[in-house]
Parts: sequence; structure tokens; C-alpha cells
Amino acid sequence: MTEPHFTVTESGLMTPEGMYIPGEPPKGIRRIPKGVDRLGTEHLIVNMGPQHPSTHGVLHLIVELDGEEVVTVEVSIGFLHRGIEKLAESRRFDHLGTLMDRGDYVSVIHGEQAVALAVEKLMEIEVPAKAAWIRTLTAELTRLASHLVWFGTFGLDTGAMGQFLYAMRDREVLLDILEEISGQRMMFNYVRPGGVVADLPTGIESRILSFCDTFEVYLEEHDALLGGNEIFQARVKGIGVVSKETALAFGLTGANLRASGLGFDVRRDRPYDAYPELEFDIPIGTIGDSWDRYTVRMEEMRQSLRMIRQLVGGMPGGPFTAKVPKVLRPPAGEVYASVESSRGETGIHLFTDGGTTPYRMHYRAASLFTCQLFEEILPGHLFADACMLLGSFDIMLGEVDR
Amino acid sequence: MWGKGILNGMRITMRNMLRGPITVRYPYERVTLPERARWAVEVVRDESGAHKCTACMTCVRACPDHILDLQFTTAEDKSKHIDYLRYEMGACMMCGLCVEACPFDALKMGQDYELAKLTRDELTVDLLVDVAAAAPARAKKASEVPAGGTDDSRGGGTDG
Ligand code: SF4
Ligand code: SF4
Repeated sequence: MTEPHFTVTESGLMTPEGMYIPGEPPKGIRRIPKGVDRLGTEHLIVNMGPQHPSTHGVLHLIVELDGEEVVTVEVSIGFLHRGIEKLAESRRFDHLGTLMDRGDYVSVIHGEQAVALAVEKLMEIEVPAKAAWIRTLTAELTRLASHLVWFGTFGLDTGAMGQFLYAMRDREVLLDILEEISGQRMMFNYVRPGGVVADLPTGIESRILSFCDTFEVYLEEHDALLGGNEIFQARVKGIGVVSKETALAFGLTGANLRASGLGFDVRRDRPYDAYPELEFDIPIGTIGDSWDRYTVRMEEMRQSLRMIRQLVGGMPGGPFTAKVPKVLRPPAGEVYASVESSRGETGIHLFTDGGTTPYRMHYRAASLFTCQLFEEILPGHLFADACMLLGSFDIMLGEVDR
Repeated sequence: MWGKGILNGMRITMRNMLRGPITVRYPYERVTLPERARWAVEVVRDESGAHKCTACMTCVRACPDHILDLQFTTAEDKSKHIDYLRYEMGACMMCGLCVEACPFDALKMGQDYELAKLTRDELTVDLLVDVAAAAPARAKKASEVPAGGTDDSRGGGTDG
């Protein structure tokens, strides 16, 4: 170990030159173990990530350990920063979707949908019913695909392997369906301001319905395989409790918020596209532990299936896109539109100056808020539980760093 | 009862074992891509090998990542001659925006998914390398295009 540059004292920092900086040490300098435990051994600093499979991307956690127990956590982000918000300032409004695809790259349609909704709000474009229904259908299919990734990797984080393979098997079918609809398996670039790029291909309805029938059985199997397993239950129940107050204070949204017992869902509370016409329930947890987050997401998948059936059954006719000019020129102004993505509220705050590109685009990423919570929630847990906790919150570093 | 869930899990695993394979044994088997599958950008050619590009530059301006590079020279009789339409596959995100933008349907998204190359240079391809073959089609197209037809209403502004 190299010599520390700073000496941490009770009331401040001492530099090697003997300069004294009073006050609480700034966060970035916490890397020197702060405390000495009862046995007289030093705390250990562990750098978890950024290249670590269970950080779900490139999250860097600087964890201070007292034996097996986490004492402090520092979340360090930005390893996947591509400047999406800045790049957006040089993209035309109908091309913003390609950037959003690379934000949350597992829950892709939702990002595209948020941008489209924002531009439509600004330009007051009326979206045809069919376009709204197709969007909602693809959004729900994407939610299933995204939750399956969470389900598989959550199991991996707790030490279970089998259900990951089964989750990928089902996701594969979903991706095939989405590829048939949009042309690509991950970066769909399918939703545009005014509607969607192309109509649903012929025969896709029966494929989706037959997927629903098989997946309904498989989903119960998944739940029994992982959720029914007592070892898994012992590892997640009562771990990582997020109280209602903490959840609100940190601005959690999505399943993480609902697991804490607060029933906010953008789909119901600020409805967009076809959601007002659909029937669905919003599952709510009780105490906000990892088990609640698990059950809420599993129930969400069941609700998504229910919605997909309604969407395929009631698909209206008509055009799949509104008449929009080739070059979109929204009037100068400001707008915020949000959707319920697989990870929470994904919002787009657009400032326009009347040109063909945004003046400024802010991307509200739900995972960023979840990331901040780790410094609050992880301390006090075992180090092995830290990996499981990261999995239970389902963060997506693509959207955190953007 | 502790252990019941684990036994049930084994039952599910056994059931899955009997469900048969779900993977494709590539390269012995191949998947059929759906009609809309988007891979590398290709130029549409008719039976004679002629393309329809009129060097209107719409695709170049539409590409969000500035991947297409088109050079043309205008002859004395105002006819355009394409020197090259360079395409950098390694940087393309296969979004299809250039294909959507082309007013002459001269581009399409290919369906070839075996795009690996041995060297980096091979990733940059010239889509319109045989200029001579295209001359007749271009003359025909040029006579069809109304005045100002290639006026790029989508262009401009990509650089903010
Ligand atoms: S597919 Fe997209 S990234 Fe590729 S050349 Fe066309 S517009 Fe550019
Ligand atoms: S938009 Fe079409 S016609 Fe125009 S330069 Fe590109 S390929 Fe050629």
C-alpha cells in the first residue's frame, strides 16, 4: 500500500506538508480507512467495480469494510458517460431517439417514447389511436424484456444460476418479436414524434399471443424456481429496507418506490398514449425490503402480460403516424414529458429556441436517483448482501452516466 | 417446509430438460431474419448493376453520426458524377435514418449479419465504387427529377 497523501484526523485533514484543512474530510478523500474497529484491526477499502459483473454495468463503489460489514460506501459514476444530453443539442428532433436508445439500453422504447411525447406536446401533434396503441404495446413488451434481464441477474447476484438461462430464453422470443416489429433487437429506433416508423407486420399478433400463452406458464415457473427457493428468500427477506420517507427523500420512482408502499406510477397518475384505456393493477409492497422489490417486479410482469393481451385484442385501425413535417421545428418553449420505464420515471425536459435541434435537453434517469440511495442503504449490511442489494434495485448504468 | 422450494426448483429444471433445445447451432444452422431487419447500409442496384443515387446529399446530412461521405464533381453540362460514397461500417449504428431520408430509394438496410472483417480498413467501404455502371440510370433519373426536386427539406441543422 502506498503512503496516504492525507492524514485524517478527528477534526480535519493534514496534508504531507503539514497543512491543516479543518472540517469534515471531503467525500473523495474518504479512501483512507477512517476507523479502527474493536479488535484493533484497520478497516479495509475495497474498490468494487467498475469492471465487476455484479455492478450491472460500470458502477464503481468504494466500500469501507469492517470485516464483512460495510461501513461506508461511496458511489462513483461516470464511466459510461457519452454526453447524450450535449449530443442532443446537435440532433434533429426525430433523431433524438437514437441517442435515447443508448441511454437505458435495456428499456429502449421508453426513452424514445419520452422524447416523442415531449416533442408532440410542444408541437401539439395529435397522435393517431393506432400509433399510441402500437407504442404502448412495444413499451410493455420492452418492459417484460427488461424485467427478465433484472430477474435473471438478480438471481445471479444471490448465487442462483438456472433461472438466468430460462429468463434469457424467454427474452430471446421477445427480442425476436421486437425485431420483427422494429428491425433491430436492441436499438429499435422505432418511436418517432407523431407515431411510429412502420405499422405492425402482418401475423405478429398471433405470435405475440402465443408468446403470452407460453410465457404465462414460464413466469409462474420462474417465480417458483427463484422466489419459491428458501435459500433465496432467506437472503432477500428483510434486507435493504427502504422506508417510505427515504424513498421519497431520494426521489425513487418505479418499482423501487412502489415496493416501499407508495403507489405512484406514471402510467396511471400521468397517463399517456394508450394507458388510460387499459385495465391494470399497480402492485405495491409493504416494507420496502429486497423481497418486496422482487415481488413487485414479478407482479408487474403479470400485469404487463395482461396489458399486452388487451393491446393486441383491441388494436384500433387507422394510420400509424400523424402527418408531421419532415423537419420538425417546435416553437420556442419548454416542456417536460415523462414515461414509466422499467426502472422508474424517465423524463425528458426540452428547451427549444424555434430551431431544428433542441437548445437543451435534460434526461431524467430514474437509476441515477437509485444510485444515490446506495450510500444510505448499504452501510450496516454484509458485503455479500451489497451485491444482492445492487441487483434488487435494478439500476442501469447507461442511463445513470448517459 | 424448508427444502420444499428447492425440490420444486429441481422439478422445474427437470421439466425444462425435456423441453428440447432452443438454441440455433450456428454456423450449421442459420436464423432467418425478419423482413425489416436492419444491418449494414447497402446500395440498391437493378439487374444491370446500376444504382439510383443522384448525389443529392440527403443521406449524408441525415446521418446523425456523419458516417456517410459523398464526393461528386459537377461536369460542364451540369451533370453530377459521383466520385465515391464512403461508408464507415464500424461507426454505423444501423439506425436506418439515411435509408428513410433518401428520396430516390437508392439505399437499403442489408440483411447480411456476418459483418466481421479482418482489418480495420475493410470496415470503410465505398458503396458506389463502379461509377461507370451507373451512368445510364443517373441520366434517366436526372431527367425525371423535377426542378428543385432534390431540394433537401430534411437537411441542414444537423450541426445545430
Ligand atoms: S444507418 Fe444510421 S448511422 Fe448508419 S449511415 Fe445510415 S444514418 Fe448513419
Ligand atoms: S439520399 Fe439517396 S440519392 Fe441522395 S445522395 Fe444519398 S443515396 Fe444518393
